[in-house]
Amino acid sequence: MSKTRSDPLHKSDPVYALMFIIPSIVVIAIIAFWPLAQTFYNSLYNSALMFPQNKTFAGLSNYIKLWQDPRFVNDLWNTVRFTGWSVGIETILGILVALMLNKKFKLRGLVRAAVLVPWAIPTVVSSEMWRWMYNDNYGVINSILMSLHIIKQPIVFLAFPSTAMPSIISVDVWKTTPFMVLLILAGLQMIPDELYEAARIDGANAWQRFWSVTLPMIRPTIGIALIFRSLDAMRVFDIVYIMTKGAANTETLSVYNQWTLFTRGFITPYFGYGSAMSVMIFLIIGVLAIFYVRMMKIRLD
Amino acid sequence: MKRSLILMVVLMTVIVISSFATVTIVMTAGAVGAELQVLQTQIKEFMQQNPGIKVVLMPMPNSTTDRYNLDVTYLSAQMPEPDVLFLDTIDPPAFADFLVNLKPYYTDQELAQFFQGAINNDTYNGRLVAIPWFVDAGILYYRADLLQKYGFQPPTTWDQLIQEAQVISQKEKIQGFVWQGAAYEGLTCDFMEYVHSYGGNILDENGKVVSDTPQVKTALQTMYDMIYKYKISPVGVTTYQEEDARHIFQNGDAVFMRNWPYCWPLLQATDSAVRGKVGVEVLPEGTGFPGVHHSATLGGWELAINKYSEHIPEAVKLIKFLTSPQQEAYKAINAGQAPSVLSVFSDPAVIQAVPLFKSLYNVFMNAEPRPKSPVYSQMSQIIYDNVNAALTKQETVDQAIVNMTSQLKQLLGQ
Repeated sequence: MSKTRSDPLHKSDPVYALMFIIPSIVVIAIIAFWPLAQTFYNSLYNSALMFPQNKTFAGLSNYIKLWQDPRFVNDLWNTVRFTGWSVGIETILGILVALMLNKKFKLRGLVRAAVLVPWAIPTVVSSEMWRWMYNDNYGVINSILMSLHIIKQPIVFLAFPSTAMPSIISVDVWKTTPFMVLLILAGLQMIPDELYEAARIDGANAWQRFWSVTLPMIRPTIGIALIFRSLDAMRVFDIVYIMTKGAANTETLSVYNQWTLFTRGFITPYFGYGSAMSVMIFLIIGVLAIFYVRMMKIRLD
Repeated sequence: MKRSLILMVVLMTVIVISSFATVTIVMTAGAVGAELQVLQTQIKEFMQQNPGIKVVLMPMPNSTTDRYNLDVTYLSAQMPEPDVLFLDTIDPPAFADFLVNLKPYYTDQELAQFFQGAINNDTYNGRLVAIPWFVDAGILYYRADLLQKYGFQPPTTWDQLIQEAQVISQKEKIQGFVWQGAAYEGLTCDFMEYVHSYGGNILDENGKVVSDTPQVKTALQTMYDMIYKYKISPVGVTTYQEEDARHIFQNGDAVFMRNWPYCWPLLQATDSAVRGKVGVEVLPEGTGFPGVHHSATLGGWELAINKYSEHIPEAVKLIKFLTSPQQEAYKAINAGQAPSVLSVFSDPAVIQAVPLFKSLYNVFMNAEPRPKSPVYSQMSQIIYDNVNAALTKQETVDQAIVNMTSQLKQLLGQ
């Protein structure tokens, strides 16, 4: 506030700010808000992609129909199950691995890079790879279990509801734990050493240091990581689509949504219904994000 | 300096003028292996014969579902490109309103050259919306060496197949019979073969749902029993697609396989463990019902023209070129795909290259289409979801039949 009024550089700050912000607002409006508005508009009508002229106004009835659709409710539950398990395991593993990688040891740089490999592989490739590893005849997992005499008959992991979802969750854990590690490691490196020193002087043991220093300090980072991962997991599509195509009760909301929009909504008047489902997925994820922000007391400013 | 400048101007003018004079046709195409290479060679020849037309190939994904999704995107956006579409046999009814009626471009004589089952398949509401390019049919592959060793003949009924597979698979410690049991389009193809072979059907001639007959139930029960009662098919078959089954059979780990003809050249390749040991036969028939017969599901790919295309006459020219007897013979010899033009089946060069086509001529001719409906892909999902649920014990066979029937009736408003 010490700037003088005659300073020409600062006088027009708001104008400059606006000039810099407008392009990004325009871009966001075009690539995010406009499609969302379009989807919402579509969800108010019953129409088929093939016959855009036969459009009838449906109001919000598609949203009511969603909750009467057992497949939608079942898939929502599958998605929540997938998200809960995968994000939960990833967070715990992520913290553990990040704590390890935060210690100084030989070849630390190399190990840190190696940990990232699963995350760097495209999901399509890793899903296809794991599909083979789960194969009952030639899969490496069955081969190891059989040679260790843990099982007598090969397990067909992806055929039955009892094993298919856990198998898919494992692939997601394998793939995205590195992402968690990366974010949490960044959080750990921001903790000043003086805090640990002070804790030691106060006589805190390793466990107490973790609970009273490390965890509170990385809580915002974990919060951000949880938001990223949960939002990602709630709209999981590729792993499921490639590994089971939704068979064995593994269908998630996005897989159902894709089918409704393309296969069903092309010919029969379900395009609006599919759009309503897209909007509903957006709303569910939005509520989840707000919940996280509140719970973790993350300051977004 | 001046001369080169003039030369450049002239050259530029020529390029600009010639680019206006040529018409560019975009065609969707298969993306892998011999199929794409063969097509590229054919296209080159076509462009030499027709200097005014340039053809650009747009390779498509491998799975028929992904191709369908892409076609939905192009057509519903009402884009003029791609001009020529490459469609699965099951697609013409769904896309009919977006495709050019090709009947005015063909004489009856020209159409009579084609395999009539495929022409019927591509005719919807009296409009010929696609031209068959190559045909496919489900066939039974068997290990000729093993059948001979145990003194068996190739099976003609499912019961015989089960019995032979049981004996050989137990003695040889390999799988008996592999097929496509994952929840996807391929399972509908397999299931329809059992249903037809027991004399049943999903829709009758009037389009009424008839999937709750004893024949259909027996068909599903037979598939279920192969896995859990007779144990000739591994439980994993419920996750297999074509390639999963082929890998097992080609490694010598199965006695029988249901698959499409594309496997033949691969099984005979130098790196195949079963090279020279494989025979092919029409799939077995059912027993115990009137009207049992050998059945093969009709597959194949069609060529069609996008209604929004700006170069329809040129696109017709391209389709006529690709489906001419000479080009079909070239494709059959080099890509192993069965021609849609009947005369090519008796071409000595073709029979020499792919002897399979001679022995399977009747199988192709009698191949049965899947239910013909614009909502076919939704029907198929109801079928394969319920069949797969029964095969993985999520529903009993009876429940699966009841659910399938009521869901089909609901979809078709019956």
